[in-house]
Amino acid sequence: MVEVRFDGVTKRYDDGTEAVKGLDLEILDGEFLVLLGPSGCGKSTTLRMLAGLEDVTEGSIFIDGARINDLPPGARGLGMVFQSYALYPHMTIRDNLSFGLRMQKREERLPADEIEARVDEAATMLGLTDELVKKPKELSGGQRQRVALGRALVRRPRVLLMDEPLSNLDAELRHQMRGEIRRLHDELGTTTVYVTHDQIEAMTLADRVAVIDAGVLQQHAAPLDTYNEPANDFIRGFICRHIDEMVETANSLFTQRDAE
Amino acid sequence: MSTAPTAAATAPHADLVLGWYRPVEVDGMVSLLGVALIVNLLLLPIEMVRGADGTLLHGLEVAGLVWLWTAARALARGLTGTTAPIVAAGLCFVPAVMSLRHAAGTTGIAATGSGLTVWALWSAAWVVVPAGLAFITFSSRAVVAWSAGTLVTAGAEAGLARNSRLRPRIEQAASHAGLMHAAALVLIPVVWILDVAISPGNGLGGSIGDAFTGEHFARVLGGDSFWIWLRNSVAVSLGTTLLGLALAVPAGYAFSRFRFRGRDAAMFSFLLVQMFPGVIILVPYFLVMKSLGLLNTWLGLILAYSVTALPLCVWMLKGFFDTVPRELEEAALLDGCNQAQVFRRVILPLSLPAVAVTALFSFLVAWNEFLLALTFNTSNDMYTLPVGLASMISATGQAWGDFAAASLLVSLPVAALFIVFQRFLIQGLSAGGVKG
Repeated sequence: MVEVRFDGVTKRYDDGTEAVKGLDLEILDGEFLVLLGPSGCGKSTTLRMLAGLEDVTEGSIFIDGARINDLPPGARGLGMVFQSYALYPHMTIRDNLSFGLRMQKREERLPADEIEARVDEAATMLGLTDELVKKPKELSGGQRQRVALGRALVRRPRVLLMDEPLSNLDAELRHQMRGEIRRLHDELGTTTVYVTHDQIEAMTLADRVAVIDAGVLQQHAAPLDTYNEPANDFIRGFICRHIDEMVETANSLFTQRDAE
Repeated sequence: MSTAPTAAATAPHADLVLGWYRPVEVDGMVSLLGVALIVNLLLLPIEMVRGADGTLLHGLEVAGLVWLWTAARALARGLTGTTAPIVAAGLCFVPAVMSLRHAAGTTGIAATGSGLTVWALWSAAWVVVPAGLAFITFSSRAVVAWSAGTLVTAGAEAGLARNSRLRPRIEQAASHAGLMHAAALVLIPVVWILDVAISPGNGLGGSIGDAFTGEHFARVLGGDSFWIWLRNSVAVSLGTTLLGLALAVPAGYAFSRFRFRGRDAAMFSFLLVQMFPGVIILVPYFLVMKSLGLLNTWLGLILAYSVTALPLCVWMLKGFFDTVPRELEEAALLDGCNQAQVFRRVILPLSLPAVAVTALFSFLVAWNEFLLALTFNTSNDMYTLPVGLASMISATGQAWGDFAAASLLVSLPVAALFIVFQRFLIQGLSAGGVKG
């Protein structure tokens, strides 16, 4: 059971601005939760507080009922995928993947052959077997994204965090990786928190979507429920109208084609 | 295609081609003549100050170049007929050849092959070559056909193709000429020092390469002093490098990554030290070193040099650390590193080029410094190489030959370091090449 719970979590910066305001949020075991919202709404800050990269000003974050506010990032048992991949440029792909396992405390560290086995397993799963000896700069954007994913997964994290992982990819690859991420989640069943500002990404990937605006949680429901029963005007504009307009655009394209 | 005509398409193709085409020689000529003009204009006042014999002739050449340059520019704008530029080039060619004769005559081309001849030949060439090339170019078929204004579209198209074929070659030749001048400019002092070092006697005069002797090198390397100075210099420079790095690397990292009280004040106080000329703090420095008992010691110099080198090292390293994406550190934190491990396992390996540059810089500061070493050290046993070199030129004896030999030997390690660190230097100075 891996449950994540935000309990009245507030993030206030030194200059007094509040990025996240009293957030209450529950993420179920094995759930794929998408944090969705416009730029600067506090969704990334929420994720970074969970990761331990930002301090929590008020409130508590629990994983499996244990308060993790004061644990260092490495001790929380998380894996994170960054938008810019953030691969270590001076290490080979194999070293990039195994770095997290090798950095464990001596008593908790896996034996070397076990680490090798885990890396090989992750590489096979992500189709990176031929790239293991290369350096990150020799890889394409899609491959780098896979390595970043593999690096997060190889430690068997309790929660997998993804911060706009597809934003740097072109449309074709983004589509392809989106499918792959969902497939991996279905295979592994890792509790996942995924941050994006892309409505389509959110609607197609998520079990449940948490929509955030101006640091406040607007609605927390399954994608279709959000669309069918928007909780307020913001959701109506940000999700419902956006999707309707996309459908209209697509329809008018088909109408044109049929007319010709 | 039956699309609506765009703005560019309103002019017929033929007009466009004829309007655009200009033989590549003309552009090249305008540029070369412009450079020649500047070079000769700069040389003219120098000759006037030196009171050289050829000043009047040189003035005539410059006037000719001005004329030629104007003609070439007029030609480039398509204002002149066929003959005018050729006449101008010819008129310029005459004083140019005269100046070549003059250069050869006054200094004696064949007689000694002295350095002055090379110089005179070079300055004459800066008139002869542009004028000669202008003469040849202006009478070439492509240029004549073009300036006569009788070109048809096909001819202009062929000309454009010829241009794009010739232009890279011309540009390559021009950049080679430019780079050779730059290289010569750097090498001339070295050649001169080398000549003094291998010439017999201890004078500064004489021609380049007229005699050879190894006596100066033998004397410098055979005596004890040079080896003592070398030992001192190496110890002090290495000490400065190690101490400087040990302090600058963590300081630069802290300034780059952490926000703490007094951070800005501390960073600017580093710069504050740099504002004072060294002479102002020389006496206080001396008194401090004296009261600490650090005069005539390696440690005293190491401390003083570290103070000098540290600010720039810290700022350089901070600048480099700033370019390392913060997400790399965050990834390492999530991978289970603590702050120290993040630095050692991720940041430091990525920063090796910058660290190498900083190390080299600290080493050079210590290796070349003269004033402090002269002030703090009173005995020959504690001299560093620069101070030792200076002691060779004194009121009682001026051993220029030995001095030149020794200074070449002193430069060797620096040159070697630059060759070894070249790759790092380029990487370190062009920071930002670490995109994940």
